Amino acid sequence: MKDVCKPKGHAHECDCGKECLKVEGDRAVIDLSLSPAQPMHYTTLNCVMRKAMRRGCSSIELKGVMGQRYLASTASAPDLYIAVHGTPGNDLGAFLNGPTIEVFGNAQDMTGNTMNSGRIIVHGNAWDVTGLAARGGQILVKGDTGYRVGIHMKEFGGSRPTMVIGGTAKDYLGEYMAGGTILVLGLGGGAPVGRSLGAGMHGGRIFVRGTVGLEQLGPGAAIVPLSPDDEKEVRGLLGEFENAFGAEVPGEMSEYVKVAPSSSRPFSGYYDKTNV
Amino acid sequence: MSETPPTKRLDHRLPERFLPIVNYDLCRVCRRCVNDCSYQALEFRESKVVASGGCVACGRCIAICPANCIEIRPVPPQFAPHGNWSERSRRSILAQASSGGVLLSSCGADDEHPAIFDDLLLDAAQVTNPSIDPLREPVETVTYLGRRPGRLEVCDGKVMVREDDTPLIRMDMPLMFGHISLGSISYNAQQALFMAAKELNIVAGSGEGGLHPDFYQYADHICSEVASGRFGIKPEYLKEVAAVEIKIGQGAKPGHGGHLPGEKVTTMISETRMIPRGTDALSPYPHHDIYSIEDLAQLISVLKESTEYRLPVGVKIAAVHNVGAIASGIVRAGADFLTVDGFKGGTGAAPRVIRDHAGLPVEVAIAAVDRRLTQEGLRNRVTVCAGGGIRSSADMIKALALGADVVMVSTSAMVAMGCRVCQQCHRGLCSWGIATQRDDLTSRLDPNVAAARIVRLFRAWNEELKEVLGAMGIDAVESLVGNRDRLRYRGPNPKIAEVMNVKHIGEGWG
Amino acid sequence: MNDRKDREVRTDRLGMPVQAENYTASRPPGWQGQLGGCGIASCISLKGGRIDGDRIARMLTIMEERENGLGAGYACYGLFPERRDQYCLQFFFDDEEGKQAVEDFLDGRLDILHDEKVFLRERSTISPPYPLVWRYFANVPHAREWRGTRDLGEEDYLVELVQHINERVPKAFCVSSGKDMAVFKGNGYSYEIADLYDLGRYSGTMWLSHSRFPTNSPAWWAGAHPLSLLDWGVCHNGEITSYGVNRKLVEMNGYKCTVLTDTEVVTYLWDLLVRRNGLPTEVAAFVMAPSTFQEISLLPPAERRLAEWLRITYKEAFLNGPFSIIVGRSQPDISLIALADRKKLRPMIAGLSPNEEVAYCASEESAIRIVEPDARTWAPGAGNPFIAVAGKGIVRRGTEPSFQGVSL
Repeated sequence: MKDVCKPKGHAHECDCGKECLKVEGDRAVIDLSLSPAQPMHYTTLNCVMRKAMRRGCSSIELKGVMGQRYLASTASAPDLYIAVHGTPGNDLGAFLNGPTIEVFGNAQDMTGNTMNSGRIIVHGNAWDVTGLAARGGQILVKGDTGYRVGIHMKEFGGSRPTMVIGGTAKDYLGEYMAGGTILVLGLGGGAPVGRSLGAGMHGGRIFVRGTVGLEQLGPGAAIVPLSPDDEKEVRGLLGEFENAFGAEVPGEMSEYVKVAPSSSRPFSGYYDKTNV
Repeated sequence: MSETPPTKRLDHRLPERFLPIVNYDLCRVCRRCVNDCSYQALEFRESKVVASGGCVACGRCIAICPANCIEIRPVPPQFAPHGNWSERSRRSILAQASSGGVLLSSCGADDEHPAIFDDLLLDAAQVTNPSIDPLREPVETVTYLGRRPGRLEVCDGKVMVREDDTPLIRMDMPLMFGHISLGSISYNAQQALFMAAKELNIVAGSGEGGLHPDFYQYADHICSEVASGRFGIKPEYLKEVAAVEIKIGQGAKPGHGGHLPGEKVTTMISETRMIPRGTDALSPYPHHDIYSIEDLAQLISVLKESTEYRLPVGVKIAAVHNVGAIASGIVRAGADFLTVDGFKGGTGAAPRVIRDHAGLPVEVAIAAVDRRLTQEGLRNRVTVCAGGGIRSSADMIKALALGADVVMVSTSAMVAMGCRVCQQCHRGLCSWGIATQRDDLTSRLDPNVAAARIVRLFRAWNEELKEVLGAMGIDAVESLVGNRDRLRYRGPNPKIAEVMNVKHIGEGWG
Repeated sequence: MNDRKDREVRTDRLGMPVQAENYTASRPPGWQGQLGGCGIASCISLKGGRIDGDRIARMLTIMEERENGLGAGYACYGLFPERRDQYCLQFFFDDEEGKQAVEDFLDGRLDILHDEKVFLRERSTISPPYPLVWRYFANVPHAREWRGTRDLGEEDYLVELVQHINERVPKAFCVSSGKDMAVFKGNGYSYEIADLYDLGRYSGTMWLSHSRFPTNSPAWWAGAHPLSLLDWGVCHNGEITSYGVNRKLVEMNGYKCTVLTDTEVVTYLWDLLVRRNGLPTEVAAFVMAPSTFQEISLLPPAERRLAEWLRITYKEAFLNGPFSIIVGRSQPDISLIALADRKKLRPMIAGLSPNEEVAYCASEESAIRIVEPDARTWAPGAGNPFIAVAGKGIVRRGTEPSFQGVSL
């Protein structure tokens, strides 16, 4: 692999972002307000970030982020910590593979798209399609999320994605879910989840604090009682949420509802294989 | 006096479609056919091999019979003849009335409409220009896959080349293998495809089921697929391959998702797809991060960021009626190559109603895409790949002349391995060890042998391409791409020729 | 003049009847283009001196066996020294109506400085109708408002104007539109056309010429060679087998194909690659007649990279099949380019006068020898351009290694 980061449309390594990158020891700070181009283009920012990663920085602090997309996509250093101040754009941490990203603000859509491992901590809201197809790692959202969150999360072996939403989630939470855990706390009031919850889910589990009506469930999803193992998992996630945000979390297990697949083969009788 | 109606339930058993006939004069009773029939359509009874029902005409028994004594006969129509109520329509109704299910099928649409390819005739050079002998003079088939710059900048009389801006893959022929996932086909079959792609120096699609660790040795010749199921997408799946392709649709089932039934999700498949063993592997119908064209641009961009702009990123769509405008949007969204999969394209499993009734024949789709991209001044920026029912080098050549830079083949590669297109892939019982995960069946396919057969087939096709190019007086394949002047239409519907911008036979040029 | 009723049956040299329809400016109905063989010849004064029209006519006419009387033409460069900075638009009109329509259209769009009838000496052997041939000397107005909403450069503006007329204005066809040059062509043998225009009355720095052996008629005056756009003039022998591909590229770039021949597309390609894309002349030649990938792989690295990327980028500009072409332009200098296809399937001979003042290119050596018995001649290589520039001499003989002299 070439050790050159090449923003779109430039043949050579980007240097227009030089002045915004400050490295002290193994800590990097990227202040977007110092960029000659305002707002800084995402290709430049990602290029500068990759430069910091290649220099082996263990932490990267981004200041003044304003909608720049695809930050830290496929970033793979397990010990890397990235702090994002401002509003990161869509696909934050897509295909993420190890690092921790902490957002001090709201995240836009598709945060943690198809992530493998690592953590994304959002001290605000994260909107639609958060955690799409995640296969591992953790997403913690202090506030609310949007529609179609946690679609098609899946687990395999030791990889098991988890997501904790402090506020609420809208419709189609956990659609096609094939593994992993989603926990919705519903803090701040309002219905914790919307309609078509877990539509077509055939793996994984969704825990919701509060009530879930049967009419809210999508096809293939069922309400089942929490097992002792489930309670242990919920408590563990609550602990991580508390550590991340320093917020009090309700620990009364009777308040939680578990939604799980009614079958791992929800549509197995759907097809007719007759040789006509 | 009427008879008392029978009280037992009628199960409306359907008549057999195929009947294996054994010539007992020749049969050595070795029973290899019985052992090899994965559909259990032959049995050994009273010292004879007899048909036991359920034959699908996969042809395995014929091929392995050492006495050459088996013949498979299609069973003649069993229902009263009717011009409208075909045998199939009645069989379908009876089956669905029993099951209540959605009829499932595989391979490409098997309707009997003639392919438009068969209505096209190629041109050749006579007098006004010379034909070329490809055995003795160079005729080039080198083809590049990826985005092209459109023009080269010139500074002070110096032509600037910025090759890093537009990653391209160089292939020895205008051919690629389509995306067939591990899961829909066996490990051995996929390995054979990858080995053949490497040997031919072309690109093979990974399919959407991730990439087995053993296959990274072929990564330089693999185009990895990002489909809505997002199976097995690890960083190396994006970074170490030759190209990345976003799958929006498949010609056999436009608008439909994927469904690998749990029984095919073996330990190996579960590891590669990164899902638990035995669960259904579902690919959502749409990508849930793509509900609009700007979302596609977003996924293209994130893949380019993720691969640091080193790889071509493509988009595959099923050919649908508005394909020209969609293609234009895809190019504008930043795709480096575009693959159009036609109506007759193959599948490992698709609802029959979609397979047989939705989409656009690839011939028309190629012409529409080529024309639209030309009209919009985009055609020289993007590589157009097209496939879906390419059965021969003639189809390939006509697809090139209609406007495809690269022709995608899948079914023909599988036929080279042994597939007889019996359309039972969805049952996972493939007796040739191709579309199955059963160890006893997959072990029948030797990847080395299968790869060699694929290589021989497509080398021969490439030679046939060169023969035709030479006959047309063209010495490099790029001068055929989109050269519809060198085609004529002879079919029943001149309107088709008109929409494809191909002249009718009898219409000259000069 | 446009009376098509009374006409005598014309025969060609072998006594074959020639279909009597004869079209001048208007495109013949059902016209789908024309194929055929040809003879081409050209000469250029390397010192910028003057060569008179009789000389090129002798060159072309000696190759009479290459034509069948269905089209011939000449282009002269350095023709109007006193008006060398003005565009010369030379038109065929079917009749006064076409002329009026063009003048109405040009009114306000170009500053016409002078116009005149082009002399035609009517001949008994060329059957009527003849076109009315007229030339206008013009400048492109500088006021922005004349150029509509798009800020086109002067040349692009003129291209659009000329293509509009050729596509849309009936009974008129602009046969040349460059500075300091004009095209003289028509339906007849090379000597008939030379006689018709009385070429001896003209002299210029460079001449191109072309005689035609089409496989089909009708004959169309405007469709004869040279084909010209701006100051580009192209004479072409052969048949481009990649026409459909090349045509797509020029159409993508806004050119309108009105003549429907491969030569027209070649003309637009030169304009696109050299004037608009800024490629050096010899680089454009390598684009049109590229080396094989095998040959490219043997080049030194910098050449290899450029050759490969030219081929990838401009694959639609690759002219496949047999051709030899002679291309002229007057801007920035009067230049002659000769190029044969990469397999050298059509003939091309270059020559230089003993005093090294005049360079020649032609299909046959005889065309050079008839006017320059002691010329030094050589054959430019396949896909290897010959380039001569008035005032500079022979820049490239066409025998050098590829990319020699190209900045890398």
